[in-house]
Amino acid sequence: MNFLRTLRKISAFFWRDLAIARGYRGALVLETLEALFGVATYYYLSRFVESPELARELPAGNSYFAFALVGFAFFDYLSVSIGAFDASLEEAHQNRTLEALLVTQTPLPVILAGSALYPFAALALRTCVYLAWGVLLFGFLPQGANWPGAIAILFASVLAFAGLGIMSASYQILFKRGNPAKWIVLGVSGLVGGMMYPISVLPRPLQFLARLIPVTYSLEGMRAALLSRAGWREIWPSIAALLVFAAILLPLSFTVFGWALRRTKITGTLTHI
Amino acid sequence: MSSPTIAVEALEKFFPPALSGWRALIQPVTRPTELALAGVSFTVAPGEAVALVGPNGAGKSTLLRILATLIIPTRGRATLAGFDVEREAAGARSQFGYHTGGDEGFYGRLSGRQNLVFFAAMNNIIGTDATQRIARVADWMRISEELDRQVRTYSTGMTHRLGLARALLHGPSILLLDEPTRSLDPLAAADFRRQLKQELVGRRGTTLLFASHALSEVEEIADRVVLLEAGRVLACDTPQGLRASTGAPTLEGAVTRLARRPFRSEALP
Repeated sequence: MNFLRTLRKISAFFWRDLAIARGYRGALVLETLEALFGVATYYYLSRFVESPELARELPAGNSYFAFALVGFAFFDYLSVSIGAFDASLEEAHQNRTLEALLVTQTPLPVILAGSALYPFAALALRTCVYLAWGVLLFGFLPQGANWPGAIAILFASVLAFAGLGIMSASYQILFKRGNPAKWIVLGVSGLVGGMMYPISVLPRPLQFLARLIPVTYSLEGMRAALLSRAGWREIWPSIAALLVFAAILLPLSFTVFGWALRRTKITGTLTHI
Repeated sequence: MSSPTIAVEALEKFFPPALSGWRALIQPVTRPTELALAGVSFTVAPGEAVALVGPNGAGKSTLLRILATLIIPTRGRATLAGFDVEREAAGARSQFGYHTGGDEGFYGRLSGRQNLVFFAAMNNIIGTDATQRIARVADWMRISEELDRQVRTYSTGMTHRLGLARALLHGPSILLLDEPTRSLDPLAAADFRRQLKQELVGRRGTTLLFASHALSEVEEIADRVVLLEAGRVLACDTPQGLRASTGAPTLEGAVTRLARRPFRSEALP
């Protein structure tokens, strides 16, 4: 009963956000075009940088464009995932709906989960748009890809990234804006996570650092599933690593968020902007 | 005598001092030293209407926000229908409707109806039940005809009425209102006061605690008045009792005599 009630509430958030998004149809078209420009940039960049040395580091039979496209699309997934929770909080602050939500019979974790549902769904769609542009215009052909494996990687990534996102939201709720933790995570992930180049080209200390962040496993697993036609046996280590990150980060993030929320209720700054 | 619906016992609230620059980073763990409420105690009986009155900064909104579970008190205790607002916040939230006098807190791109459907769902009201309740409160707030327009096209008063409709949507036994008629035009305000007193408090037995600067409104609605100043209760009595004890002909005169500085209600220029 409680579970059903929670699902209904979370779906109410989804329909709310969908109804709001329908009011901004122009933005949807522009985002689709933006994805096209992003994909085109990587295509022409790949034509410039392809070399025999680079080809040795890429999954067999793949171009740098395919490698970079998957990296770009799923790194975008990480960055928006991390920002989804604090963006929803910031929006609720700005339109002053946070206070109205907090006095309802919906606990804050459900408010957070519900608020992030639409951004995550929209993000999945955006990732598909990236890949679709690659397929339609630039010869990206993930033939024989392990799509169920890719979806499993995606779900495991969402769980791991959500932990980081909730931590980021904790900062947001305490300090309201200018979230350095988010940019540090994104900066480090961008440098060592393997978005634009294989992590094997990095110096050893950075390769070690790469093993400590979830995006590395997300990109490795995704490229294995989409580009190397890897089976479950090969992608399982990536999924397991992401689930370990989720098992650590999710409970930790809820604890941190609970503490942050209590502090803001003590300081009286919960609804301050 | 029945047990009180709202009980406030020796409630104290201190806020940390406002910090800026790099020191803002330690604000969340800074010791609270700024007094907002100092040992406030009073009770509200079931079906009673009580007004919180006092100058700006007296602690009225802070008190209401503590009761609405948005702020945690430093010391003391407050209960709503027996639920401790700090330890049993979820239970307390099922008992009250809360509305501040502002015109914000809605999704401007959604219609009034879509907003109410969403907030109804947040209070576990869905389907036909939600539709019927929305129709009822919209009719009551006289916004039925505007309900399918986007909220961003509403006037301030209209948004305010939508906020009141939202607070009433789940049929709460307690209403916490912060300046409930602040943005309403005089006719709408008079209409709202009449409905509040006759329908909600009189007929349905809803317990009402509201903050107001409009002493005419307080006289019209409140059974009792809690006069706050600098976080302390200066007096707690019926409007007639306050007038009698101070010898003042009006509530405004009584409040001014009790408070250490002149109280300026909205009626004054």
